Amino acid sequence: MPTQTATANRPKQSLTVDEKIQKMRELYADAPEIGKTALENGLPTLTQALAAPSAEQTAGRIGLRQGKVSELCVFLPFVKGGAKRLRGFLQLLEGNFRAADAVGTVHDMRFVFVDNDTKLLFATAYDGDFDEYIDDFAAKIPNAMDLWLCNCEGYPGMRSGKAKEWIFDHQIAAEAWYVNSPNLTAAETRRLEKVGKAVEELLDKIG
Amino acid sequence: MLSVKESVGGQLGTRAPTLDLDEIQAIVLRPRPAPYFGTHVLLRIDDAEAGREFLRRLTPHIGSSAHWWSAAHTWLAIGISYAGLEALGLPQDSLQSFPEAFRVGMAARARELRDQGVNDPKHWDAPFGTGQVHIGVSALSDSEENWRRALKIAREQYEAFSGVSVLRSQDFGFQPGDLNPLGYKDGIDQPAIEGSGAEPLPGQGPVIKAGEFILGYPGEAGVPLPMPQPDILGRNSTYVGFRKYQSRVGAFNRFLRAHGSTEEERELLAAKLVGRWRSGAPLTLAPEADDAVLGADAQRNNDFDYANDVRGLKAPLGCHIRRMNPRDTQLTRLTDVNLHRLIRRGTTYGPPYDPNAVSTEADEIPRGAIFMFISAKAMATMEFLQQEWIDEGNFVGLGEERDPIIGRQEEGASFTIPHEPVRRRVHGIDTFNVLRGGEYFFMPSISALTWIANLSG
Repeated sequence: MPTQTATANRPKQSLTVDEKIQKMRELYADAPEIGKTALENGLPTLTQALAAPSAEQTAGRIGLRQGKVSELCVFLPFVKGGAKRLRGFLQLLEGNFRAADAVGTVHDMRFVFVDNDTKLLFATAYDGDFDEYIDDFAAKIPNAMDLWLCNCEGYPGMRSGKAKEWIFDHQIAAEAWYVNSPNLTAAETRRLEKVGKAVEELLDKIG
Repeated sequence: MLSVKESVGGQLGTRAPTLDLDEIQAIVLRPRPAPYFGTHVLLRIDDAEAGREFLRRLTPHIGSSAHWWSAAHTWLAIGISYAGLEALGLPQDSLQSFPEAFRVGMAARARELRDQGVNDPKHWDAPFGTGQVHIGVSALSDSEENWRRALKIAREQYEAFSGVSVLRSQDFGFQPGDLNPLGYKDGIDQPAIEGSGAEPLPGQGPVIKAGEFILGYPGEAGVPLPMPQPDILGRNSTYVGFRKYQSRVGAFNRFLRAHGSTEEERELLAAKLVGRWRSGAPLTLAPEADDAVLGADAQRNNDFDYANDVRGLKAPLGCHIRRMNPRDTQLTRLTDVNLHRLIRRGTTYGPPYDPNAVSTEADEIPRGAIFMFISAKAMATMEFLQQEWIDEGNFVGLGEERDPIIGRQEEGASFTIPHEPVRRRVHGIDTFNVLRGGEYFFMPSISALTWIANLSG
């Protein structure tokens, strides 16, 4: 089991910019030469970031959020033969994740096989709190979920009512999280795509 | 007062119930009568044994759901908060078997419930959110005389001895025309529960598995929801989200006047916010004008879906009733609507709706509604509703727009009314119902109450 960090319990930082810069100097005092030089040269730019108000929020029980977008990262040991099966399945999908399209809150997903195919690192960006819709997944797309998660150890099955806790047990909070458009949900992005296209068509007709 | 069966012209089909109705508290399945009279009493237990003695005395008077569709209309209901279960001396392993959101209480879940800004627990009326509310007792009746008699019975059980203190007592009751504080007939749409013994009313379906609302039965997923232990405590029990709202009647009327120049325009705008006219007639069936006969007819006033109103030209996508039960509306997020329903028992307090009140003083008059939201997973469902369907609009493609009736509006908020050729967006919508307090209660079965009452130590 990976080490979990309950982000809700992180120490609240309320340092001034000067204190933060001081802290950076202390952290990098024994850094490799490249790091020390980078700190001195990069300080003017870095100061702006350090002076900005915190953009970080927590997402549900574990994980980070910026605006409306949250991160979820799980580290799942494969069952025997699980890595081979999941790799084969993902290759056959050829990048078409219809179930994720249907979910409507998923921005992206990545499946990374690590430690000689013994573990799966699954990372995703999604809207809102992850646990709000897990029962809906169980009701609407249990097969799509079971098909890939069955390859991981201890997976209780989407219909068991225990999948939410199982995922939480394997979740690792990111130390940091960046989102370019933190106020745009996946639904909003698709709507704006349509609106943008319609506006261009309208302008084409006028012009 | 007519029974449920009589109120729908005797056309309510019944079949043998499969639920233990004599174990389930009356308020879970019995609709609120009309007219109605009642009181919510909030109590604190100062001594475990005194609290259990109180339960032993009160339990025989708690109403059950047996024959709920035709039974008499006076009953007492009881809910116990987590702090209350602790104060009553529940064993540790039993306490730990309750879900986290219930254990920490509604105020501590303010972030998950979006109870922020004006709805923040720090603004709540005492004693809500202080951890002192241990027990809620509600008396409800269709007649003033029977209400007073029921309340007297409840009082006799806690006033006679020390160890149980009254923190707050709030009377509520019927308003002229059975209207809520903003002047609407409400409480029309309730989920249909499998095995409860009555056929659903037209439009009330689909029938939902009982385990979504009452512990110990299979839910929509086919298995029972997690249940507090031991089994006798969990089975036939459920949870209640108790929410007290104050209605800002002046703000509501000011908004209507600012955006409607005639009475007709104002009433149409008001109906667009709710999805129903004041009589209860749904916009989907009566898009042009109110229809009081339709509104009063329980066989017809809920008998619709949105198949012919996909874009919301009749009932806006963001209107209150379409948010609270989207039915067949196409949602942007994968959702099983049946998983997010609540049984609602709304009770109105304070003076009735005044269509001429426009002052900010009128906003502060104590009047509003106390809701009891009942479900076997009330905490999770309320958090879902607050996050996804009330203080959000993305699920129907409305961005940050919020529920126009119970949402908490930010500065500059708007409400979109689909229209041909272009939608109308009404700006400057205000918060019309402010949250003044809330608690989560466990609503034990009759056997569970007896079990708690007879604990020792």
